[in-house]
Amino acid sequence: MRKAAWLIFFVLLCLPVTAAAGHLEPARDVPIPVQNPQTAAKVELGKKLFFDRRLSGDGTMNCGTCHDPGQGFSDGLDISLNYPTTRNWRNSPTLINVAFQKYLFHDGRAATLEEQALFPMMSAFEMNQNLDFMEEEIRTVPEYVAEFTEVFGDGDVTRERIAMAIAAFERTLISLDAPLDRFLAGDSSALSPQALKGYEIFTGKGKCSECHFGVNLADDRFHVLHVQENPEHLKDPRIAATRRFVAKVYHFEEYRTLAEDPGRYLITKDRKDWKAFKTPTLREIAGTAPYMHNGIYATLAEVIEFFNAGGGMGNPVLKPLRLTSLEKEELRVFLEQGLTGAPITFVHPKIP
Amino acid sequence: MAAGPTVKQILRTYPGKIRLVIKNYPYKYRDFARIAAEASLAARDQGKYWEMHDILITRSPKLDRASLISYAGELGLDVKTFTESIDNSRHAKEIDRDLQLAESIDLYNTPTFYINGRQVVGERPFDYFKKIIDEQLNKTAR
Repeated sequence: MRKAAWLIFFVLLCLPVTAAAGHLEPARDVPIPVQNPQTAAKVELGKKLFFDRRLSGDGTMNCGTCHDPGQGFSDGLDISLNYPTTRNWRNSPTLINVAFQKYLFHDGRAATLEEQALFPMMSAFEMNQNLDFMEEEIRTVPEYVAEFTEVFGDGDVTRERIAMAIAAFERTLISLDAPLDRFLAGDSSALSPQALKGYEIFTGKGKCSECHFGVNLADDRFHVLHVQENPEHLKDPRIAATRRFVAKVYHFEEYRTLAEDPGRYLITKDRKDWKAFKTPTLREIAGTAPYMHNGIYATLAEVIEFFNAGGGMGNPVLKPLRLTSLEKEELRVFLEQGLTGAPITFVHPKIP
Repeated sequence: MAAGPTVKQILRTYPGKIRLVIKNYPYKYRDFARIAAEASLAARDQGKYWEMHDILITRSPKLDRASLISYAGELGLDVKTFTESIDNSRHAKEIDRDLQLAESIDLYNTPTFYINGRQVVGERPFDYFKKIIDEQLNKTAR
């Protein structure tokens, strides 16, 4: 008997900390870090900086190049746009609901939006800017100095403040009033009959909500699904250069011969993270194709096929779901209709 | 990789339904971008724009003057006329006009497409264009 009690205790200990798995939550207020309170002026400044091409080395790229409001704050490409003459290697994730994420980037290398914002600016294959130089470029613009003074109390332009303002703007990009939100708030007719069946598959036989749950329909964790590499990308020497560059920066010893994306392993060097990628939000998923970290799937139907087949070859996580054609279709309808909120109204700022 | 094959596929798919207008946007930080734009227009004068376009893409970044002249030879162009054209920057005005147009509409990325005014930045697969074009054609038909 005592042994049984210990066994139960042990089993409890082994349960994942994400005890809320499977539990979906409607949209709610965004968490705001105490170090970077939201103000209207800061959000407006952040929006200007977000679309300012001064943030890139050659003045051709801004954050909105790859996070385009007209493309679901992504860029609609399999792999993200790039600094001229280079190529990126991963898909541009949507910024919608990014405020709810515990980790940023597909490999989770940043823990806050403030930290995240500076990476692409410095990245040789993205905005390729020198941050010391960028600070001076922004400081030469009187309108910016006035805005920094209003927002931060003095006119000093630092990379940290630039990142804070951009992060504040990004925290305003929230998916609201999706049929799922209304449904979870008690409106039983918010989902169409087909979408409702899809919802039941999502939370049941499809096992989607084991990882896609909470308000953001994600688990803030990393999983090894063995999504196939895109053979076209493996052949492109520019992408090889990018992959090896990132691996080198993260002190991966065999960076010169690296021929695939190691995912989170680059950050943790933990063997279990080899080819692990972050669970993405599913909010507004209909408007943010293509899908997966390398954009290999153009449609949700393809993504559903991938999961239905039990994921990529030899993956340790997924098992075949045996969904019927009808069930797959219902799931797709739920993802498309149920998770698409009211359009985010957006007015492009005037860059000083 | 470049958008050329996709553009050609679009033209083949919609014969007589699409008008393609190409504007030059030589990247300001590349040594040979400007002379390569001149070369493509000099080839156009002799009826071989696409042939030169394709060779520029496949041989890039080898786009110095001597290479361009040798490509003109490969394509069977009148090399003397071609060389005079690029040496005298014969199409400078046209290229400058295109650059000004791009800057006036806050355009910085190549390739960028406009399909009846709808902006598409970057290379895209054929199906991406097809969806937009079909929408536009349906709208026009109505």
